[in-house]
Amino acid sequence: MAEERAPQQAPPAPPPAAPPAGASGSSGAPGGGPSGPRPQGRPGGPPKRGKRSFVRKKKVCRFCVDKVDFIDYKKAEILAPFLQERGKILPRRMTGTCARHQRWLTVAIKRAQNIALLPFAAEL
Amino acid sequence: MEERQYDLIFICLPDTPEPEIDKIISTIEHAAAEKGGKIESVNKWGRRRMAYRVRKMREGYYVYMVLKSSRGEVVKELERRLKVSDAVIKYLTIRLDEELKRQEKLKRHRERRAARRPRKTAPPPASSGAGEQAAASA
Repeated sequence: MAEERAPQQAPPAPPPAAPPAGASGSSGAPGGGPSGPRPQGRPGGPPKRGKRSFVRKKKVCRFCVDKVDFIDYKKAEILAPFLQERGKILPRRMTGTCARHQRWLTVAIKRAQNIALLPFAAEL
Repeated sequence: MEERQYDLIFICLPDTPEPEIDKIISTIEHAAAEKGGKIESVNKWGRRRMAYRVRKMREGYYVYMVLKSSRGEVVKELERRLKVSDAVIKYLTIRLDEELKRQEKLKRHRERRAARRPRKTAPPPASSGAGEQAAASA
C-alpha cells in the first residue's frame, strides 16, 4: 500500500506490526516471529562481512513437506535416517523435524524397535 | 462397542517350513474368529534380517496381519497362542484405529483447506505484502 517495493511473493502470515509507519522506524528487527528474519540481512548485517557471515540454512520438517499424516512404523527405511549410527533417535534440532512429527516419529521408531525392524543399539 | 483395528506382527524361526507357517496363520485366524475378531489381511514378508539378534538368530520370518475386533480379549488370546507356539520368536500387537482416525481427520482437514485456499489467497496480497515489506525494512 504505502510503498511499492514489496517482494513478489506474499505469504499469508500476518505479522503483529500492522502499521507500516512504526515498522519503518529504527530498530524493529528482534520483533519478528519465532522463526525470525534470519536469512534476510539484519540492519547491521551486510556491512560486517567478516567472520560471522555464514548463513544457516533453515531446516524444514521433512514430514511436513511430504504432508505426512501418519508415520508408519513398518517402513524402517524411512525411519532409519532419523537414527544415529549407534541407534539413538536424533533430536529435532539436528533433523529439523517439527514437534508434532517428532512426537509421531519417536513412537514409530519405538514400535519398529520392538519388532526388530530397527535396533535399540547397534551391535559392534 | 466400536470396532478396533490392530496390527499383529510375529516373527518365526528363519528355517521354519512354509506349511508350518501357514498352519500358525490358520490357527491364529481360527482363534480370532472364535473370540469374535476377524483377520482382515495376512501378508507374509518372508525372511528378513532383524535389527538385532533374537534367540541368537539374525534372521526371521516375518508375518504381518491386520486384526479387527471389538473385544480386547481377542488380543490376549492371540498373544497367548503366539507365546506358546515354538516357532514364533517374537510378536507385537499394536492398536491402530485411533491413529488411523486421526490420519483421516487430518486428511479431510487438509482437503477442505486446499479447496478453500484459492478464494482465500486473493484478498491478502495487499495487507500481507505490506506486512512482509515492514518486516524486511525493519
